[in-house]
Amino acid sequence: MDQSVAIQETLGKEENCIVAAQCDILLEDCSESRLLGLVECAKEHAIFIYTHRRMAITADDVSLEDIIPITLDFAVVEVSSPEQLVVVGADTRVRMSYKNEKLELRLPFGSHSRFFLGEVNKAWSDVCRLPTQVPKFEWTKKYKKSIKRQEATKQAIAPLEVLSTKNNQHQKIEKVSDKKGSLEKVKSSNSISQKSKGNSSQDNQSISSREERDDLVRSSSHTASNKAQILAMPQFGLRDNLIRCELLKSEDSYTYLENFRFFLGTYNVNGQTPKESLRPWLSCTPDPPDIYCLGFQELDLSKEAFFFSDTPKELEWMKAVFEALHEEANYALVKLIRLVGIMLIFYVKKEHAEFISDVEAETVGTGIMGRMGNKGAVSIRFRFHNSDICVVNSHLAAHVEEYERRNQDFKDICSRLQFRQLDPTQPPLTILKHNVVLWIGDLNYRISDLDVDSVKDLISKNDFETLHSYDQLKRQIDVEAVFVGFKEGEIDFQPTYKYDTGSDKWDTSEKCRIPAWCDRILWKGKNIQQNHYKSHMDVRTSDHKPVSSLLIIGIKRVNPEAYKKTFEEIVRNIDKMENECIPSLSLSKREFHFKDVKFMQHHAETLNLFNDGQVPCQFEFIQKPNESTYSKPWLTANPSKGFIAQGASMDIDLEVFVNRTTAPDLNCGKQEIEDILVLHLERGKDYFISVTGNYLPSCYGTSIYSLCHMKEPIQDMPKETLLELAEKSPNDDTATDEKPLDIPKELWMMVDHLFRNAVDQEDLFQQPGLRTEFAEIRDCLDSGMPDSLPGSNHSVAEALLLFLDALPEPVIPFPFYQQCLECSSSAGQCEKVISMLPQFHKNVFNYLAAFLRELLKNSANNRLEVAILATIFASLLLRSPTKQDFAEKRKTQEFFQHFLT
Amino acid sequence: MAKQYDVLFRLLLLGDSGVGKTCLLCRFTDNEFHPSHISTIGVDFKMKTLLIDGIKVRIQIWDTAGQERYQTITKQYYRRAQGIFLVYDITSERSFQHIMKWASDVDEYAPDKVRKILVGNKSDDVEKRQVATEQGVKLAMAYGMDFFETSAFTNHNITETFTRLAEQVLAANKKDLDLLRISLNDELNLTALEEEEGLCDSASGDQQKACWC
Repeated sequence: MDQSVAIQETLGKEENCIVAAQCDILLEDCSESRLLGLVECAKEHAIFIYTHRRMAITADDVSLEDIIPITLDFAVVEVSSPEQLVVVGADTRVRMSYKNEKLELRLPFGSHSRFFLGEVNKAWSDVCRLPTQVPKFEWTKKYKKSIKRQEATKQAIAPLEVLSTKNNQHQKIEKVSDKKGSLEKVKSSNSISQKSKGNSSQDNQSISSREERDDLVRSSSHTASNKAQILAMPQFGLRDNLIRCELLKSEDSYTYLENFRFFLGTYNVNGQTPKESLRPWLSCTPDPPDIYCLGFQELDLSKEAFFFSDTPKELEWMKAVFEALHEEANYALVKLIRLVGIMLIFYVKKEHAEFISDVEAETVGTGIMGRMGNKGAVSIRFRFHNSDICVVNSHLAAHVEEYERRNQDFKDICSRLQFRQLDPTQPPLTILKHNVVLWIGDLNYRISDLDVDSVKDLISKNDFETLHSYDQLKRQIDVEAVFVGFKEGEIDFQPTYKYDTGSDKWDTSEKCRIPAWCDRILWKGKNIQQNHYKSHMDVRTSDHKPVSSLLIIGIKRVNPEAYKKTFEEIVRNIDKMENECIPSLSLSKREFHFKDVKFMQHHAETLNLFNDGQVPCQFEFIQKPNESTYSKPWLTANPSKGFIAQGASMDIDLEVFVNRTTAPDLNCGKQEIEDILVLHLERGKDYFISVTGNYLPSCYGTSIYSLCHMKEPIQDMPKETLLELAEKSPNDDTATDEKPLDIPKELWMMVDHLFRNAVDQEDLFQQPGLRTEFAEIRDCLDSGMPDSLPGSNHSVAEALLLFLDALPEPVIPFPFYQQCLECSSSAGQCEKVISMLPQFHKNVFNYLAAFLRELLKNSANNRLEVAILATIFASLLLRSPTKQDFAEKRKTQEFFQHFLT
Repeated sequence: MAKQYDVLFRLLLLGDSGVGKTCLLCRFTDNEFHPSHISTIGVDFKMKTLLIDGIKVRIQIWDTAGQERYQTITKQYYRRAQGIFLVYDITSERSFQHIMKWASDVDEYAPDKVRKILVGNKSDDVEKRQVATEQGVKLAMAYGMDFFETSAFTNHNITETFTRLAEQVLAANKKDLDLLRISLNDELNLTALEEEEGLCDSASGDQQKACWC
């Protein structure tokens, strides 16, 4: 049900209730239902608060209680304290504030509440967008009177109670009549105005100083003088980690110590409100300190503070502190952190603010269940110039006999308090990892083994030395049970606990506590001198006295010149290291020459790779651009890739082998034995290895046409002629002066040799020849023309088969292949195809067929059969331009059989 | 977490065999000088980090084989360079004449926005000088390049030359860099840029498959 209708009925003409929501207003110990309406008029917005009976349906159901104009002074924030569990479906708690007024509201869970808050926020954002327009809120004035009138009549009904910023929450909230019933009256007590949403509990001064601090600190990381930090900016590469590590190692070379004055103070305020100036405590030094780190304990003992971590005391004490800081300098607030009643404030002299960076704050509760914040510590860490400093304010367990509990609290704080690091890869930072640790607080260690009177007697005699020997903290430190490595200055002041509040008299209550030095200041780190350590008797607000210490701390400052030098040196070294770590090999040879490379003859040379680098290396011969393999087809490197450990070596065989594929171009001189291998190292350099050689041309791999035009052995032919012949078309016979041979003379020599010597040879063409004899036969054919060929019949037979196999264009040229397959069943057709072959090919075909028929005549002796010869020769004479399947193979054999019978 | 970006440039030393490319590199990176000439047969490289305008610039300097027979291969390396040193030897007129050829190869094979710088090395060897400084200045002007006479032997103008080219490359890539810096805190953009770079590399890898990046 939309209750804005009821509200709308109460409004004037130009006014418009945008949205309404029911909520509970939270009072001291009860809550009351209210209706909120967001009302707009003349582009100004205000929240109207109504009491209502039942669900509002008409104007009679609601009566206006207050109006909160939405101006820059307005803020609405969702309240959620870390102690509160966030439960899905829980009500939304918000705090609305206008100037010094605060209202705590609970809106029912759900989208309507969300919508309402969204609209309110929108209205507020509009105000922020046009901050120059001065809001008038004339239209709301007419309602003010009625509010007052109503209040008068309402006195008896329900007191409207407001959470004020000023009043102690323990105090009974004044009656409505006392406050004249209006929310607006409350502001009289305090002139604080709310400035921004987030800082709803800051006063004017602190807000401005905090903003300033933000700017100063933030800008510090960009100033040139702080370049050191830019350069050392955490980065995530291994290299950068290395640089950072090295920089840290040689920090001494580019930093120098400069003394700064740190004023440390600790004060257990026993839940009191500041009632007197803190100057006697905070301005007790003749010169203004550079840094203030002030710890408070028992700031607020109320249960609100305990359970909701919300307390007006924070603001009050902060203000009191700010007013009491040394007059001769301006200070900026860097950080304030509070855990229930334990608060730490960190001020820095303005001129130092730009050198403060990496500020982090954390808390640890060690109270009830070891977690709650009534005891524990708050801590701020920061970087000042090049020193990392951690300040801890702790309130340890109470009671005389609980010193071991206090020791335990200390240990828990040290281990559990962790600061996140900018670099997420780094483990969190703990207190004791800092160059300087300053530990202040109500450590609660007491005087033991002495009765009250003896203690007071020693105090009256100013015999603090004797008294100190009964101090639990001193004793525990002496046995290294706590604060190991920490130092404390000599105590030359009387115990700071426990006094009657407002006096310098020892506790006169029933408990009559034994005086104790509860409040202490300790430090850990190098180059720290204590200038003073004292208590401040003139401050009487609490049952404790505040304690202060002025420490002169040597802070590491960066000398930009030296830093640059160191940085460059480190980078240079890392570069050097990196360059040394580039994989490297030494090669036994960079140039290889293969002499007199012949067809089908294996040549190999060894390339030795030695890993002379500092890292293992992965090598590979890589292809050059526009080439599909790493080398020419006649060259292989074995292995072509691999891995060599440091100091190890590996032999690579560079092998040259010219086969029928690569021979044709080498024979005619179109190609030469020449290549450059690129040996690539992963993440490293490339080596070029040049391979050269000379190739002896061979009839193997030379075309029938060319061979028919060579009357001399091929190796006696001039290079130019070879190339000329290779480039001529086999059908072009015009250019030759001399009559070419009918068939290649090499073919004739082999066939003639076999015809004369091997017609009766068993297993001819079926038994392999010898490699060496083949080489002799090849050389013989290529270089001279002896009367007879060397080697066995089988070797010559194989040489013949190889010759046919190596022909770049088979005896039946590729274009005729398909035709041959198609007519394979018809003898007549087959002969017709053969008659169409180029002349030299036809000659060769007929010559071979005749020779084979001749062999078959002697089949009684040589046991050759048509089928065998057809199988062997068909595959050589009728080669497929592509891949041959089984059916095709059958057809080629069928084709060739016609010529064997 | 996205990786922080390091600016990395690739610079290439070109010039005839024996003009001192390897010596320039050794002097610059290791501050060493080896007088004996060992031909670079292949492509070598070294890393060096420079600070320019507060930016950490890592440069990868490629030293190439100057010999003519390797040039068909070395040309293929031009494509991935952002800056090129055209080096000649002031005691060799021939090496100076060849700069024209090197420059035209660069025009053909290197990326369009590659930055070039002319270097006349061996400036210490006054007695054998064959190329006058003015000639170098004139040629550099004709090509719109900066010009340095250097000596790897005496360490004259070495850092200046390398820094100058690195600065020019940085300036030429300023726009991309600024974009990068803006998005430095924006993980998404940063990774996008890194991926982009990866793509370039894999694209070039198509043609020169196993070559290092």
